[in-house]
Amino acid sequence: MEQIMRRTADTGFTVTSKAHTPELAVAPGAPGPLEIDSATIKFGDVTALTGVSLSVPAGQFVSIVGPSGCGKTTLLNYAAGLLPTEVLTEGAITVFGEQPREGRPELAYMLARDSLLPWRTALGNAEFGAEARGVGKEARRKKARQLLARVGLGAFENAYPKALSHGMRQRVALARTFCLGADLMLMDEPFGALDAQTKMQLEELLLELWQESGSTVIFITHDLSEAIALGDRVIVMAPRPGRIVADVPIDLPRPRHITALQTDPDYHKLYAHIWSSMEKAFAS
Amino acid sequence: MKPVNQKVSNGSVLIMRIMVTAGIFLLWELAAVQAWIDPAYVGRPSGIFNSLVSGLIKEGDVWGELGWTLSATFLAFALGSLTAVIVGMLFVLFPTLEKVFEPLLAAMNAMPRIALAPLLIVWFGLGMGSKIAIGFSLTFFIVLQAAVAGGRGINQDHVTLSRTLGLSPSRLFWKVTMPGAVPVMFAGLRLGLVASLLGVVGGEIIASERGLGQKVAYLAAAFDMNGVWALLFVLAFAGILLSWALDRMEAWLLRWQ
Repeated sequence: MEQIMRRTADTGFTVTSKAHTPELAVAPGAPGPLEIDSATIKFGDVTALTGVSLSVPAGQFVSIVGPSGCGKTTLLNYAAGLLPTEVLTEGAITVFGEQPREGRPELAYMLARDSLLPWRTALGNAEFGAEARGVGKEARRKKARQLLARVGLGAFENAYPKALSHGMRQRVALARTFCLGADLMLMDEPFGALDAQTKMQLEELLLELWQESGSTVIFITHDLSEAIALGDRVIVMAPRPGRIVADVPIDLPRPRHITALQTDPDYHKLYAHIWSSMEKAFAS
Repeated sequence: MKPVNQKVSNGSVLIMRIMVTAGIFLLWELAAVQAWIDPAYVGRPSGIFNSLVSGLIKEGDVWGELGWTLSATFLAFALGSLTAVIVGMLFVLFPTLEKVFEPLLAAMNAMPRIALAPLLIVWFGLGMGSKIAIGFSLTFFIVLQAAVAGGRGINQDHVTLSRTLGLSPSRLFWKVTMPGAVPVMFAGLRLGLVASLLGVVGGEIIASERGLGQKVAYLAAAFDMNGVWALLFVLAFAGILLSWALDRMEAWLLRWQ
């Protein structure tokens, strides 16, 4: 697999990242899912991101961690084509080699809140994304059913969101996201509002679904333990202005189990390592 | 004073309701018998009952008028709210349109629109047309405000999600904006229905060939107070029935809530 060597500016430590790519058919030399080259994003006079470079190979699970205001959501929104292109004042950001644009079929976006449509049943919500992308009724319904069963909600197909718990609603949102079969998934703190127990269950579920899909994931979180447990690589960002201060490979073997990781010394070593580098970066 | 925390079963509440209502009517009847009040001016429950029996069963003439009034109300409500929802959604889709019409609509909304009734009666005649027009003018503005508020109240997360999914504006409208606006719209529809009935009956009282309002005006002029009361009870009952029908529709449409 491809080796990425990079030296991060502020912390000054060199990291090697091993891209986790299952047997994915990617033509050699094909443009990566997400390429960011010394990008600076400004909203008027406010610099949201500065000098950000990041190359994400296909199939990699990238966790981006950082405090609020570090521009991680801005990065995601730009990649999703939700921001006007003018805000990128320097550098380049490309998605599969092209300018980001809204509603690209290769791309799925998962929000912090479940954003389920309350007037649709769990099944109706799970198939909503595929429906929006013009997948035929039969095909999308079949896939949505499978995914609902997969996230443990097979018996709740006809339940409306108000009847579901937070965790269950976010499970439906996971089903909706994976129902798209997108090659690149952008996730903006999808489990941020959940309690610890539910969060672990959903992380486990996400890892399973992702491993079957072979998609590339950009996962934003403010929770370092979550970032390490899920990612092939943890990008640490710092605020004001938003920038990358560390890019750490996570070589924990896969498949991973979130509960087993809690007692894994390697996992805790990585946590301590990244934590101290974060402290150093934020102190300066 | 602290409210007394009491648990009362539904059954005893029903009994108390019946007792209070019956008590009021008994007191009223007693007042008429004892000549504390003049039944010629105020009416009396036994007389009202006789009028009801006569109008609904013996003569049966109330049914035709009731049907006439309800038909006008239904048409005024259906046309008024449908137009209001269409215009409201146009305002949501094209905000400039709303800005252009805003002063005009604000003026018409501030005006006591029942004052339009004489004008509308001149325009549309003494038949049902003028009653529908009056009910329409009341309902339209009420539902319009609710429709615009509902359409504007779209959840921003739903918009973001729809954008990332590449949902076209027209499909966003039909799949997200419209269903999301329904709960707020229903609050307006509920008021609009009452306003339709008000407008129709008001129009009938002012000048009409038929309808319960016309009959109320006629009986009041003839000093048949028991007859007036009887019709008022019929109207109240009709109003309750209409609201109930709307409730059923809302419960079905908003079963997800």
